[in-house]
Amino acid sequence: MTQTVTIKVNGQVRALELTPQASLLHVLRNDFELNGAKYGCGLGECGACTVLVDHQPARSCVIPALGVGGRSITTLEGLPLLNAQTSLDPLHPVQRAFIDAQGTQCGYCLNGMIMMTVALLLKNAQPSRQEMLDALSGNLCRCGAHVEILKAVELSVQYTRQLDGVRDAQVAQLAKSSSVPLQPGMKQGTTHGQTLDQTLDQTWGKAP
Amino acid sequence: MLIAQTPFKRQDMPLMRGVIWVSRPPVSPPLGASGQPPFIASSLDEGAEVLVALWTDASVTALHGHVDMGTGLRTALTQMVAEELSLDLSRVHMVMGHTSVSPNQGATIASNSIQTHAKPLQCAAAQILQWGLDQSAHYFGVSVSDVLYGEEGFHVMATDNEALDLFYQTARKRVLPWSELLFDQNIALQLDLNAPLKDRQAYRLVGQAVPRVDIPLKAQAQLTFVHDMRIEGMLHGRVVRPPYAGVDSGDFVGKTLLKVECESVSHVPGLRAVVVQGDFVGVVCEREEHAEQAMKELVVHWKSWPGVGSLQDTENALSKQAFTERELINDGDVQSALQGAAVSLSQTYVWPYQMHASIGPSCALAQWCSDEEFQATGTRMRVWAGTQNPHVLRADLALIAGTVDASVEVIRMEAAGCYGRNCADDVAADAALLSKALKAPVRVQLTREQEHAWEPKGAAQVMKVRGALDKEGHALAYDFLSAYPSNGAPTLALLLTRLIEPVAKVYEMGDRTARPPYEFAHLRVRVQDMAPILRASWLRGVSALPNSFAHESFMDELAFEAQVDPVQFRLQSMSDSRAGELLKATADKANWIKHTRPQQQASDVRDARDARDASQPSEGAWLKGQGVAYARYVHSKWPGFGAAYSAWVADVQVNPNTGEVHVSKVVVGHDAGMLINPQGVEHQVNGNVIQTTSRALKEDVQTDPQTGSVQSLEWGSYPILNFRQVPVIEVLHMPRQDQDPLGAGESSSVPGTAAIANAIFDATGVRFRNPPFTPDKILAALNPLGQESKPEGTFKDPSKVGLGTRVWGSKAQAFFTKHPLRALTLKGVAKGVMGFGFQSLGVLSAAFLCALGWVLYGPNLNANLQLTAPVNLSMYGPKMIERGAQLALMGNCQGCHTQEAGLLNAGGRPIPTPFGVIYSSNITPDAQTGIGGWSYKAFERAMREGISAKGHQLYPAFPFTSFKSINDEDLMSLYAWTMSQTPVASEPKINTLAFPFNLRGLMKMWNALFLEQVPPQPANTSSALLLRGAYLVNSVGHCSACHTERNLLGAEKRGTQDLQGAYVNGWYAPALSVNNAAPMPWTQEDLYRYLRTGHTEYHGVASGPMGEIVQSWAGVPDEDLLAMSVYLGAKMNPAGLSDASLQSKAKERVDASKLKEEVNTGLSVGQRQFEGSCWSCHHEGGGPNLLGTNASLSLNTNVHSATPNNLIQIILKGCPSPAGKDLGFMPAFKDSLNAAQIKDLVHYIRGRFAPEQPPWSKVSQEIDQVLRAEKLR
Repeated sequence: MTQTVTIKVNGQVRALELTPQASLLHVLRNDFELNGAKYGCGLGECGACTVLVDHQPARSCVIPALGVGGRSITTLEGLPLLNAQTSLDPLHPVQRAFIDAQGTQCGYCLNGMIMMTVALLLKNAQPSRQEMLDALSGNLCRCGAHVEILKAVELSVQYTRQLDGVRDAQVAQLAKSSSVPLQPGMKQGTTHGQTLDQTLDQTWGKAP
Repeated sequence: MLIAQTPFKRQDMPLMRGVIWVSRPPVSPPLGASGQPPFIASSLDEGAEVLVALWTDASVTALHGHVDMGTGLRTALTQMVAEELSLDLSRVHMVMGHTSVSPNQGATIASNSIQTHAKPLQCAAAQILQWGLDQSAHYFGVSVSDVLYGEEGFHVMATDNEALDLFYQTARKRVLPWSELLFDQNIALQLDLNAPLKDRQAYRLVGQAVPRVDIPLKAQAQLTFVHDMRIEGMLHGRVVRPPYAGVDSGDFVGKTLLKVECESVSHVPGLRAVVVQGDFVGVVCEREEHAEQAMKELVVHWKSWPGVGSLQDTENALSKQAFTERELINDGDVQSALQGAAVSLSQTYVWPYQMHASIGPSCALAQWCSDEEFQATGTRMRVWAGTQNPHVLRADLALIAGTVDASVEVIRMEAAGCYGRNCADDVAADAALLSKALKAPVRVQLTREQEHAWEPKGAAQVMKVRGALDKEGHALAYDFLSAYPSNGAPTLALLLTRLIEPVAKVYEMGDRTARPPYEFAHLRVRVQDMAPILRASWLRGVSALPNSFAHESFMDELAFEAQVDPVQFRLQSMSDSRAGELLKATADKANWIKHTRPQQQASDVRDARDARDASQPSEGAWLKGQGVAYARYVHSKWPGFGAAYSAWVADVQVNPNTGEVHVSKVVVGHDAGMLINPQGVEHQVNGNVIQTTSRALKEDVQTDPQTGSVQSLEWGSYPILNFRQVPVIEVLHMPRQDQDPLGAGESSSVPGTAAIANAIFDATGVRFRNPPFTPDKILAALNPLGQESKPEGTFKDPSKVGLGTRVWGSKAQAFFTKHPLRALTLKGVAKGVMGFGFQSLGVLSAAFLCALGWVLYGPNLNANLQLTAPVNLSMYGPKMIERGAQLALMGNCQGCHTQEAGLLNAGGRPIPTPFGVIYSSNITPDAQTGIGGWSYKAFERAMREGISAKGHQLYPAFPFTSFKSINDEDLMSLYAWTMSQTPVASEPKINTLAFPFNLRGLMKMWNALFLEQVPPQPANTSSALLLRGAYLVNSVGHCSACHTERNLLGAEKRGTQDLQGAYVNGWYAPALSVNNAAPMPWTQEDLYRYLRTGHTEYHGVASGPMGEIVQSWAGVPDEDLLAMSVYLGAKMNPAGLSDASLQSKAKERVDASKLKEEVNTGLSVGQRQFEGSCWSCHHEGGGPNLLGTNASLSLNTNVHSATPNNLIQIILKGCPSPAGKDLGFMPAFKDSLNAAQIKDLVHYIRGRFAPEQPPWSKVSQEIDQVLRAEKLR
């Protein structure tokens, strides 16, 4: 027997007729046709299906869709909307950081890693390395891209800080009441490799 | 869009205009490659294989038969093609593994794609450029050497010949672009593998750290994965696999199915088909969740299967397997050398079964083409798959589709990383089978459990090594024997349907890297080829990884015997100078400390407990050690050829008190010749180091002790390395850009395990020859006498155990279950009752006989009331109805009177009791089937005396013994609300109690005995709130229905046992008194929060039946819950502890638990299960902050309860509908964990979070009972 539930995903509100078996993941993938959240285990163990529910990270595979009526869901696709007013970059700074740091191997766990990083930075703009490990420790990566993922998280901190800088500058500009083109001041996705490593090593010191 | 991105078919190439392309004829299969992964040649009709095509817009389509399995191969090949053509990377479009257009280059295995299969692409690109140069030289009238070439096209510099320059002046001033050269042309070239390639000195793209081309797409969730492929009209399929999980040969394969009860899923919405063929069972639905539901609910009967025997002792299991021995090398005289040697050694190394454990279970989409399309295009079926070998899969799919290979189109899309053959092909065949059956597109997604169970495993392997040193301590003799049970793992659907026979082929793949990389005057190498036991094929490193583990462990053992430093010993024993340079450079970078015996040095690492409190003596005196290993991965048919060289120096720390091993740092040297993309290679090496460390420390497939079937179905039972355990990795690339590229990445996994084992030896002086090196294994070896056994049942449980039945006390059921016949005799009943404190057998039997006679023959004296009356709702007013609604929620009427997914209060919910199933009645005001037309008097009599308006007695599953205390005003309100509901016509099922319980009249006797019992009243109080609370708890709240034990006849023991805890439906309803077992006292404030929100930070979350009740209470006013909390608080917390007093106590407990979390990682099977399955949500603050509450289990009431019922229930069934939206959802683990795994988990949770409580006994029995009850349901 179906029930009606209204879910807001990436700003879009839709009413759906669902049975209790439908998980949030099913609905995101099949009704909203979104690719970001991936099915990994169906048990909340691996994190591949992570989305934000009212800005808190959640494992969409174990959440019945009927249980999130009225709540606001953000998926990987919706991340750019989170900072749409501030950045000209079509990507969220964390997405940009993962591309620049090449923070994945096969890419299947990437959604979870990005979403957990976004959630971490929403709560804590300057996480310590330990806090980064804590935040990601429930997400599994089988290819062993952990080193690159951690670099991407560190770069995400930088990019977010730069974007905050832009936001501050914008506020200052607004105070002067002139419209100036916005520049996130962020490198586009090009070759990094050693340069990036060096930057990060300078920022964080060699990994312990 | 680039022209190169336009899809085309190979056959169309000769008709295209504006293109130059290079092709080759289809390749024949290599001769004499028996026992190797299959290569299925393409048919000549399919036309020449196109390798590279360049179009007028100077865009390039490059085609490759291999696939990118997340390794960056696509990017590297793009670099190579762009380099040869001196074009920007963005001009090159790679098409990989698409059978209709890509060349057939066999399976993507053995790190071979660059080393061997990139050359045709390079040559083709070079030929195209050469053609362009030749043509433009002709156009410009100059020699080719005078033509310059750049992004924009061809041009010439001024030459010495002024006259000609003048003649060609106009032309020579311009650039001749590809568009002009190719205008309306179709230039077809044959591949020339001798075409001269670009000078490596001029490379500008190859050798650069180019970012991966696929990552931006993936980071933006654009379509790259096969999982995300959707087409019009796509249906969702799921498969149901047979019981022989992970076994694919034997006569039972394809013949074990008895029966499928298709009607068992007829209720599933949008069900399109149940497809059964041999042992293949699949379901197809319109929506994915319904396909999942059908998969779970389909009733399938299987025969028993013989099993493959126990695999617990791997060496023993392999020794029983038939084999063919191949002698690969026999130089000198090994036997004599071993006998006459100064020092000789003999060791056995045992490798476990391991998994790819891809992070995403395999998925595929198959589209059966219409007859019209088939006739027009020749394509019968199109399949989008994440396969590793598209052309071999195509042949399998053709078998299913009943057509020729070329009529099947396999479109390779990306999938989750696999490291060899996982279920990617299996699921493609499943999809094909279902799509063919429905003549519709079907997407099949395997579950996590199916992928874990059925993926072809990395095989277990046993290596026996004998070796000797001469008098000078030099390597003299080496005798190596390796047993490897594996083959190519035929595609599962073909076996299940018996399209092919399930006879295990034997492959010759145990010989990879079987030759040690050292010089021995006497060397013998033998391999025992054997059929798989568990389904197995190739997993990263194939047999080379275990073989090298043996070689490199044994070399360390020889070095120790020779009293020579392990690095030195290897260097003096090897002849390959390139290997020696690598090993030396790696050792230097790692600050290798020369040693000739295990150093067993104390580590300066202090564990977290030390760090927290320096005054505490250290429990973990860590030892540190350093180990080395070297290998060159030699793969393909013996003698094979070498990929990259690799050396490891691993630094480990070992805690001898816990057995825990940390790999703290790995320096890995890698010589892969020229690096196409250094950054890509470095990432691959990092990945290989991490995965190998994971395999060495953690990974071992759990199997059933009797049948051998795979039991690791999720991440708790097959843990892998997580972020906290990743070592620091330093990669040393040897500068070899002048050399040919060698297969990179995978090679660096090969020496890893031995390096770690050797480091553990250096730290502890103990050799470990059987990975994974789990803490329990290390501890057992380091403390051979200090093992504590923890047999189940050491703790005598004082209370009896509930049996998964609702409401009724356990003792009654236990009695009747044991003595079923006695239940039918008066004597038996009386005897049972006697045991529970009834005074007189005589009284009882007299009452019973009397009642029996009464019901059979006597008049029904209750029938005289005025039972029906027209209901006039206007009498009651909205306030009263609203109060009635609140009371109904307080009493959770709908909890019993609504079926699962049924209409509210329409009844029919089955309530199992020890005496039979009772179906709840329809309490909506429907005149025929419900209680419409009942007078208030009839309603009152039902509520207070348990007698229906129709005159029959109600069973005390209906708690009228509590409801009788509801005051008149409230009862009237309830009546008003009841009659105001929307009537629903629904006749509940007839109750099916066994004699004598089907005689409702007996309840009269029951009423006579038990209806007048009253609960103890609160004494000496003038608190109105407390009195109100007592009233609500004991009347409409009917808390005692669950929280009070019942006697043999199902009556609550309200006197002495009132609210002292009881078993309900397999759950334990805890004591609402001072006897509550919670580790933290329940204060009134805490109780209130719990009743209101279903959660308190000091006790945990309401789940199971209580969860439903708290949900129902969302509509109950605060003051009612407050009153209840005051009354219950007085009972449970008579000392009147305040909330504030809990804080420090809670903190103390959580901190104690936190220390264990930080110090001990994966020490036992149970802990590993917990960390993999539970920890992300149930950690002590050191994990992710996910949606939902995360109260510490060290405060959880259920974990501290006398019996494990509630913990088991919640693990098995999860919490899909929590009492509040912020509590979080918990999945059910009943389909993912077996009884033994749950038992380990439950014991671990008890020991870890309730250390002061005795271990639970009879956990296994409890689990069995809950599972059995679930099955019956």
